[in-house]
Amino acid sequence: MFGTRQTDLTRSEFERLALEHLDPLYAAALRLTRHERDAEDLVQDTFLRAYRFFDRFERGTNIKAWLFKILTNTFINRYRRSTKERSIVDGAERDVHDRFVSRDATEVAANPEKAFFEKLLSDDVLRAVDALPIDFRMVVILADLQEFSYREIADILDVPVGTVMSRLYRGRRLLQRSLAGYAAASGVVEAGEDGSVDLEAYRRRRGKSA
Amino acid sequence: MANDPTQGAAMDCGELERSVDAWLDGEFDARERAEVEAHVAACPPCRGLAGDRDAARAALRAKLREAMAVRAPAALRARIQGEIAVRRLPLWRRALSPIPIATAAACAAGVLVVLASHGGGEGLVDEAVRKHHRGLPLEVTAASVGEGSIPEWFAGKLDFHPSPPRFRADGVRVVGARLSHIRELPAAYIRYELPRGQAGLFIVDDPGGKFGAEGREVRVGPSVVRLVASRGYNVAIWRQDEIVYSLVSDLDEQALRDLVRAAQGQ
Repeated sequence: MFGTRQTDLTRSEFERLALEHLDPLYAAALRLTRHERDAEDLVQDTFLRAYRFFDRFERGTNIKAWLFKILTNTFINRYRRSTKERSIVDGAERDVHDRFVSRDATEVAANPEKAFFEKLLSDDVLRAVDALPIDFRMVVILADLQEFSYREIADILDVPVGTVMSRLYRGRRLLQRSLAGYAAASGVVEAGEDGSVDLEAYRRRRGKSA
Repeated sequence: MANDPTQGAAMDCGELERSVDAWLDGEFDARERAEVEAHVAACPPCRGLAGDRDAARAALRAKLREAMAVRAPAALRARIQGEIAVRRLPLWRRALSPIPIATAAACAAGVLVVLASHGGGEGLVDEAVRKHHRGLPLEVTAASVGEGSIPEWFAGKLDFHPSPPRFRADGVRVVGARLSHIRELPAAYIRYELPRGQAGLFIVDDPGGKFGAEGREVRVGPSVVRLVASRGYNVAIWRQDEIVYSLVSDLDEQALRDLVRAAQGQ
């Protein structure tokens, strides 16, 4: 029967085109929800919706961007209100402060020649990403992890390109600041006298001693 | 900074600082690139800044990729594939409705896929309790659309038409609803407020009969209902043809039986 064959075709096409992007979608969902079960539910809902609306997908356009749009929409509509968002900026800075204060002083002197990011643990990177306010976190994930263009991100999130640009700018600075905090805590870089961590100052010092 | 092109070289250090990211991201057109490059060529501090930003950007991206390199669990992939296979069923059933044997065969095939991909998963009750307990936000509330419009809200969103039972009992009020799923089957979820406590009702289309073996069988009015206690909740499960109802509540068993009886119009 025609209807049946049509359905089979759609299904195999969907599986071929869409399921290829399961891993990146799951990776992003994990950072959005910060919870494995929620991430799985979110991805499952995303694929279900995508399949339901597959006839609206314009063949030949970027299916990965289309799937990410569904993922972020689903997340915003269903999950975001249910997951308590920490006050991001405060959270990130408090975290940095805690780590900094509790650091072992002898560690701070260790190996300042190493490149700044190199010694960071993946766990610290994930913690820093998770502490970003959700709007910044989404843009950083889409730009720096998934390497979407500003235009694509603007379409995915339904915001102007200028907004993408400014969120990315601020998100990256926040992330770097918080990573610098972890680096200081683990002795990769030295902290300033006031306890603040200044990447630029670190670079200047490093430049002088070189 | 869309100004006169002859002013391009006059981009100041503040503007440069704000636009370095977009420049490094390859987002600028030829004229904008020329502006940035002219400024950087003439301004050593900004050249240093751009170099630092470039290095930090590359290192950050590499770190993010490393830290976030995860693979989706194989079970998730199988679940999605199973779900897509199941989603096909209603079309089959509609297309082949005059041929009941073919319908049954199609259902059986769908169920085989589901079971094969889901051997060790959690049961209906555990999943329903977990989902109810987490209190995910409702997509529609009775306060906004009126209690009577909740069934309509599901129309077109599921492959079946859930008809929520009417609880003929005092103080039972619909709070709202959302789409959910139990295992790979799409489900309607409706939350109720009770005189004491809350309840969540999951309605699932289960043509293959894969749910319903859990718990203790009791007779409530004219129907057979299964009762299960799980993680502090009492759950009642009953079936009407292919539709499975699963009511998760914080009621004690007797109160839950009364509520189910009220739902059956007894």
